This record gives sequence, C-alpha cells and structure tokens, in this order.
Amino acid sequence: MATTENMSITPEAAEAAGDFYTYVEGVGNIPRDIYKHVKSDPLGDLPRYSIHIVTQHFLTFISFLILAATGLTLHFADLWWASFAISLFGGAETGRLIHRISAIVMVAASVYHLVTIIGGTISKSMRKRFDIKRTQIPLPKDLQDIIHDFRYFIGKEPYRPKMEKFMYKQKLHYLAILWGTFVLISAGSMLLFPEKMATILPNPVFFQDLARLLHADEAVMAITVVVFWHWSNVHLVPGRFPLQWSFITGRITREHQIEEHFLEYLNNLKEIPEEREYMKKILREKGLETY
Amino acid sequence: MRELKITSVTLPTFTLVLSLLMIFLTPDVYSADIGNCLLCHKYPGLSRVDEKGKLRLLYINEDIFNNSVHAKVKCEGCHLDIQKIPHDPAKKVDCLAECHIKEPSSEQKFSHKDIEKTVAMSVHSKYDKDGKEKKFSEDLPTCKECHDEPLYRPISFFKQVRAGISELSLSRCKSCHKKEDFIYKFYNHVTSRMHRTRNPLNIAESCSRCHDDLQIIKRHNLSAKAAFSYGETFHGKAARFMDERIPDCLDCHVKKGDASHLMLSKENPESAIHEKNKGKICASIDCHPSASPKLAKYGVHSEFSLDRSPAQYYFTVFFIILTGGTLLPLMGIILLDLIRKLFPNAMIRRRK
Ligand code: HEC
Ligand code: HEC
Ligand code: HEC
Ligand code: HEC
Ligand code: HEC
Ligand code: HEC
Repeated sequence: MATTENMSITPEAAEAAGDFYTYVEGVGNIPRDIYKHVKSDPLGDLPRYSIHIVTQHFLTFISFLILAATGLTLHFADLWWASFAISLFGGAETGRLIHRISAIVMVAASVYHLVTIIGGTISKSMRKRFDIKRTQIPLPKDLQDIIHDFRYFIGKEPYRPKMEKFMYKQKLHYLAILWGTFVLISAGSMLLFPEKMATILPNPVFFQDLARLLHADEAVMAITVVVFWHWSNVHLVPGRFPLQWSFITGRITREHQIEEHFLEYLNNLKEIPEEREYMKKILREKGLETY
Repeated sequence: MRELKITSVTLPTFTLVLSLLMIFLTPDVYSADIGNCLLCHKYPGLSRVDEKGKLRLLYINEDIFNNSVHAKVKCEGCHLDIQKIPHDPAKKVDCLAECHIKEPSSEQKFSHKDIEKTVAMSVHSKYDKDGKEKKFSEDLPTCKECHDEPLYRPISFFKQVRAGISELSLSRCKSCHKKEDFIYKFYNHVTSRMHRTRNPLNIAESCSRCHDDLQIIKRHNLSAKAAFSYGETFHGKAARFMDERIPDCLDCHVKKGDASHLMLSKENPESAIHEKNKGKICASIDCHPSASPKLAKYGVHSEFSLDRSPAQYYFTVFFIILTGGTLLPLMGIILLDLIRKLFPNAMIRRRK
C-alpha cells in the first residue's frame, strides 16, 4: 500500500502509484494521506461558510432546540417529565407562545437562507464562477463516493474518496433538512391557522388530522436525525469532539478539508496563494517535492 | 374513602392500631354522643379488610372533611342508618337522601333529588325515551361513580384572580360579620361555585373510567375512546398541564345555561355536539370567538387507530418506517466510519 513514508518520489513512482498522487501546478505531487502530516488549527484554516450561512445556522439551531423542547413537551404531555418541563416554559399557554415565536425565527432563517442561496447562485453565474460541483446538488459522483467510502470502511480501499466541498452525507442531510423544514412549516401553519386552511383545503378534516400527525412525526424524526446523525457525525466523532468550530468560525480545518473534501482543497490551492506556499513547505519537509 | 390494597406494611399497622384502640376505649367512650363520630374515626389506622380481601380505610381526616363541600352536613346526615354507638356495619349512602340542612331561600329540607331528574333526562339515564330500561343499564353512571367528595376550591378576586382565600377579602367580611367560622364557610361556599369544582383533568379522569373502557364503548356503540382521544388533542394536553382555560368535557357536552348533568347524545338535536350546534361551542366567547362553523368540523376526539382512521394510521406507520429506514442505514455508516477510524491501516488485500 502506498503511504508517504515508504515511497520515494520520482515521477515514475508517482505514475506507478496512480491515484495516490495528485499533481497540482506550482505545488507538486500531493499524496492522498498528506492530511496526516499537516498542521491544523482546531478553529479552522480554510474558508468554508460565509457569514450569512453561519448566521442562518445559528438562528436555525437555536430555534430548532427551543421548538424541539417545547414541542416534545406538548406532544408527550402524558409522560412524567412533561409537567416539569412545561413549568420551565411557564405553563402550556406560554409554552405554545414560545413555540410559535421560535417557529417565526426558523421560518425567517429559512427565507434568509433561500435568499442567500438563490442570490449567491445568480451573482456567481453572472461572474461565470458558478460551479455545480461545489453546491449541495446531488450528482452521480456522490453515488460513486458512497460505494467507494463503503469499500473503504470494510477495508477494500486504502483511502477515502476524493470528495467535493459537500460530500454525500452532507447532501443527504441537507436534502433531509429541506424536506423536513418544508413539511414542518406547512403542517405547522395548518395547525396555527385552522380556519384559513378550512377555506383553502379540499378536505379540511382529513388534512387537519394529517397535519397533526405529520407535524409531530416529522418533528420526532428531525430530532432523532439531528441528535444521532448530525451531532454524532459532525461534532461528536473522534477528531471532531467536542465541537467542530466551523459553525462559529465558518472555517474548516486543513486536515478535515484534505481528508473529506480533497477536491475542494484543490480549489483552495488554486484560490489561496498562502495555502500553496504552505503545501509546498510541507512537501519539502517530507522530502516529497517534485523536481 | 378510597379502597387500598393490603400490603405487608398496612396489615400489621392496622392490627396494631386497632388493638391499641381497644385498650384505650373506656366504657365512657362507648356511650359517646351519637354525633361524635370522629372520636373513633380520627384514628389513621382505623381500617378493615372486606370480603374481597381489600383493605378499607375508615379513617376520616378532619381537616379534609372540614374543607369539603359537605363540611356542614353532620356525619349522620348522610350515614342515616347509624343510630347508636357502637354501630353496626353501615349501609351505602344514598346521595338523594334529605339531610338535616334547610335550603335558606326556600326553607325546604335539602336534597339532591333535582339532580337525579336532570341525570334522568341526559344520555346517562338508565331508561330510554319510552321509559324502558336500557340494555346494559348497569354501565350507566350513578352519582357516586362520577363524584368523589369534592373539596372547596375558593378563588379570590381582591387584586388579581388567584386560587385560595384572600385574607383581604376575609377581613372585609369581618367588619360586619363576627363569627370567623361563618365567614370562612360562606366565602368558600360562594367562591368555589364561581369556577369548576374540579379542574379539566379531574373531570376527564372521572369520565375515562367508562369512556375509555373498550367493552363499554363496544356495548353502547360509541365510536371513540373519548377521554383518551381528548388527551391526544391540544385541549387534553393543556389539561394535563393543569391549564384551566381550555375546555373540559362539560364545556363541550353541556349547552351553555343547561344544568351540568344534561349531557346528551350527539344524535339528539338538542345536544351541544349535534352537527348543527357544534359550531356554537367552538365560537364561545371564552374560546374561539371569531370561529366560523368550519372550525367545528375538525375532530376533537381524533384517535389514530387502525379501525377508526386507517388513512392516518397507515400514514403514521409509513413515517415510522421512513424514520427507521433513513436513520438506520445512516447510523450504519457512522458505525462503520468509527470502526474504521480505530483500525486506520487495516486492509483486505488479495495476495499476489
Ligand atoms: C366507638 C367508635 C366509633 C364511633 C363513635 C363511630 N364509629 Fe364508625 N366505625 C367504627 C369501627 C371500629 C368501624 C369498623 C367496623 C368494622 O370493621 O366492622 C367503623 C366503621 C364505620 C363505617 C364503615 C362501615 C362499613 O361496614 O363499611 C362507617 C360508614 C362509619 N363507621 C360511620 C360512622 C359514623 C357516621 C359515625 C358517627 C355517627 C361513627 N361511624 C361513629 C367505630 C366507631
Ligand atoms: C355528604 C354525605 C356524607 C357525609 C356528611 C359523611 N359521609 Fe361518610 N361516606 C359517604 C359516602 C358516599 C361514603 C362511601 C361509601 C358509601 O357509598 O356508602 C362514605 C363512606 C364512609 C366511611 C367508610 C369508608 C369505606 O371505605 O367504606 C366512613 C368510615 C365514613 N364515611 C365516615 C364518616 C364520618 C365519620 C363522617 C363525619 C365526619 C362522614 N362519614 C360524613 C358520605 C358521607
Ligand atoms: C359509569 C360509566 C360512565 C361514566 C363515569 C360516564 N359515562 Fe358517559 N356514557 C356512559 C354510557 C354507558 C353511555 C352510553 C349511553 C347510551 O348509549 O344510552 C354514555 C354516553 C355518553 C355520551 C353520549 C355519547 C353519544 O353521543 O351517544 C356523552 C356525551 C357522555 N357519555 C359524556 C360523559 C362525560 C362528559 C362523563 C364525565 C363527566 C361521562 N360521560 C361519564 C357511561 C359513563
Ligand atoms: C357591610 C357589612 C357586610 C359585609 C362587609 C359582609 N356582609 Fe354578609 N351580611 C351582612 C348583612 C347585614 C346580612 C344580612 C342581610 C339580609 O338578611 O338581608 C348579611 C348576610 C350574609 C349571609 C346570609 C346569611 C343568612 O343566613 O341569611 C351570608 C352567607 C354572608 N352575609 C356572607 C358574607 C361574606 C362571606 C362576606 C365577605 C365576603 C360578607 N358577608 C360581607 C352584612 C355584611
Ligand atoms: C356523568 C357523571 C356524573 C353523574 C352521573 C353525576 N354527576 Fe354530578 N357532576 C358531574 C360533573 C362533571 C359536575 C361538574 C363539576 C364541576 O363543575 O366541577 C357535576 C356537578 C355536580 C354538582 C355541583 C352543582 C352543579 O350542578 O354544578 C352536584 C351537587 C352534583 N353534581 C350532584 C350529583 C348527584 C346528586 C348525582 C346523582 C343523581 C350526580 N351528580 C350524578 C358529573 C356527574
Ligand atoms: C372541544 C369540545 C369537546 C371536548 C373538550 C370533549 N368533547 Fe366529547 N365530543 C365533542 C363533539 C363535537 C362530539 C361529536 C362527535 C365528533 O364530532 O367527533 C363529541 C363526542 C363525544 C362522545 C360520543 C362519541 C361517539 O361518537 O360515540 C363521547 C362519549 C364524548 N364526546 C365524551 C367526552 C368526554 C368524556 C370528554 C372529556 C374527557 C369530552 N367528550 C370532551 C366535543 C368535545
């Protein structure tokens, strides 16, 4: 198996290692496992999220947590802890009010997000800098990545796939959030404006029942996904624990970028001269520079 | 006056207390005045094991009794058959008996007979329209099946509406009335009636013993587990949280201005829940004043079981499968990822 330690780096060797090296103009042959040797600031080295996205994440996760706490308490009113929890929110009436206010915050954050995403896409397209590979849109490559990653997990591949800015896990999660927010907001509005909905919908009784079920079921699902999937994947796994600071700094660590978003790292090399210098220096230190 | 199950603790205690009682009871006590029931019944251990093997606590807590709506009724005003002390096993109390109290506005001996008439006009009557006894009439509630001994629930309005007696209001009564007892009793008497004696959860619980009983539901062709389904909606959830502003069973099932007991079948055009009257309940001034009759279309007794609402039921199942179906594979990936992190260099290689 090819690793940085046991390969002396002549162009022929690079050729022979195939996928292992990626040649970058002006930097050299970058071995796939270089992330094990780079320095990383836990607060993040490379840009990933704009201040808008960071703000949206903040608004969303705070309102989400409050919605989940008040919502679960109301939904599971008959469980023993619910009456304690509801006193925290100041009773059923106030609990509902808090739930609704947080809902407004979340809707606002979602609208803000749509505006940023659509606006950003338009402005990038105008400057001819839009690149579909750097978006959350699922592409056939993601399927290949899943297969590749799966093979890696069971030990049939030596390295993770080279992935874009958003890898398949994140795309799945993003889609789930889009769908979940859509369902929760529409079902929630049906519950909030029963009269309006009775005039709009063809079979209000059925839809009201449906909304009641949907809102609760979808919320429970969203909470499970956030706890067991998002938190464990993003913040709790070894290497990321206790938190991945990207959600505050908007920056990603170098190590993480190279390991999971290698192709985006190549973009970084193109766009950030200092990063090129840094990579060159590392390659030189490891005796890996190409002549 | 609840029935208690015998436990290994209560039985010995009971025997002990009873024997102590026997020792201390002098002949003097035996000849006690008939009214002085608490002489014996104030002892917390006074209890007996009945024929069914259940422990019956015969202890009367004086404080609780004195705060109950019947505080002014003497014991033998209800336990009419107890004429001498020591007494024989007592008969069941009849709520409709005339007690020794006079209703002051009419000076007539007081009884709850009028309420029985109302119950007889309601859906809970044991007899149908033609006066014939209904099938399974034993399922229909008697007074004591819906009522336990209620306590006073006074409220005060002095500055703000709040539970309990306001010292400030009491002190005002004192400027004219002299007897503390009198003031206290009538303050309780009047203010307790200015809202429900029971909170919505209590009321729902008292109906649930029959209306969540699947056999009774089946026998009487009812379609909903009424108290359970109430608990599934926000009304019932808020009731769980002791909110008293939400509607309880009677707010919807008794027409405004009718007596509390006049609950009628939804088929009865006079009933509050009849198709054409429903809208008015929702639009009540305390609830959804601007509601149109459309709001009343929504199910207040929604229950998402397979036989009642298959579409909703399958929908829930679909969602559970969807949750499990997305979450489990994703969790699988995380697990694999973790394991792989523990063995970063492990490789399955084909030997060359
Ligand atoms: C001398 C003590 C004594 C006095 C005074 C007394 N009781 Fe009792 N009472 C008892 C005892 C002891 C029992 C349990 C009897 C038994 O186990 O058979 C009992 C049982 C009862 C029961 C339950 C009977 C049953 O069979 O379920 C009632 C009701 C009752 N008493 C009412 C009264 C009332 C009303 C008064 C006052 C008018 C009163 N008692 C005065 C000693 C007393
Ligand atoms: C408003 C009517 C009323 C008054 C007043 C009243 N009781 Fe009762 N009592 C009942 C009812 C109803 C029961 C339930 C048993 C039954 O249905 O007879 C009961 C049951 C009891 C029992 C038996 C508990 C059991 O498990 O069977 C005792 C003992 C008792 N009462 C004692 C008293 C004493 C002592 C007083 C006076 C301090 C008193 N009661 C006043 C209505 C009354
Ligand atoms: C002891 C059992 C019992 C209790 C307790 C009881 N019910 Fe009922 N209820 C019945 C039975 C049995 C029927 C069916 C009567 C019939 O079919 O004639 C019924 C019928 C009804 C109906 C009419 C249903 C319809 O539309 O046909 C209403 C409304 C109702 N009950 C409300 C209540 C409320 C509210 C309470 C609590 C305050 C309550 N019940 C407590 C046994 C009970
Ligand atoms: C300004 C003096 C005054 C105050 C204050 C007052 N009362 Fe009275 N109350 C009276 C008088 C006088 C009567 C007799 C009225 C009559 O018979 O027409 C009366 C009668 C009553 C009665 C009827 C008694 C009967 O047997 O007919 C009750 C009950 C009562 N008051 C309770 C209260 C309570 C409780 C308060 C305090 C919340 C209160 N009162 C405050 C003067 C007062
Ligand atoms: C179906 C259950 C049920 C039955 C049967 C029943 N009650 Fe009630 N009763 C209630 C409820 C519920 C209330 C309202 C309690 C509240 O407002 O806090 C009530 C209220 C009362 C009140 C308070 C005054 C009022 O009208 O609000 C009295 C007194 C009363 N009941 C006596 C009786 C008597 C006597 C019987 C037997 C003939 C009886 N009840 C049968 C459920 C029942
Ligand atoms: C918000 C108003 C409301 C409340 C609160 C409410 N009900 Fe109802 N109930 C209705 C209406 C309306 C119906 C008529 C059937 C329907 O539209 O679902 C009904 C139907 C019923 C029926 C007949 C069910 C059938 O179809 O056989 C029973 C029994 C009943 N309710 C009991 C209760 C009990 C017990 C409670 C308290 C735990 C309660 N209800 C609380 C509005 C209410």
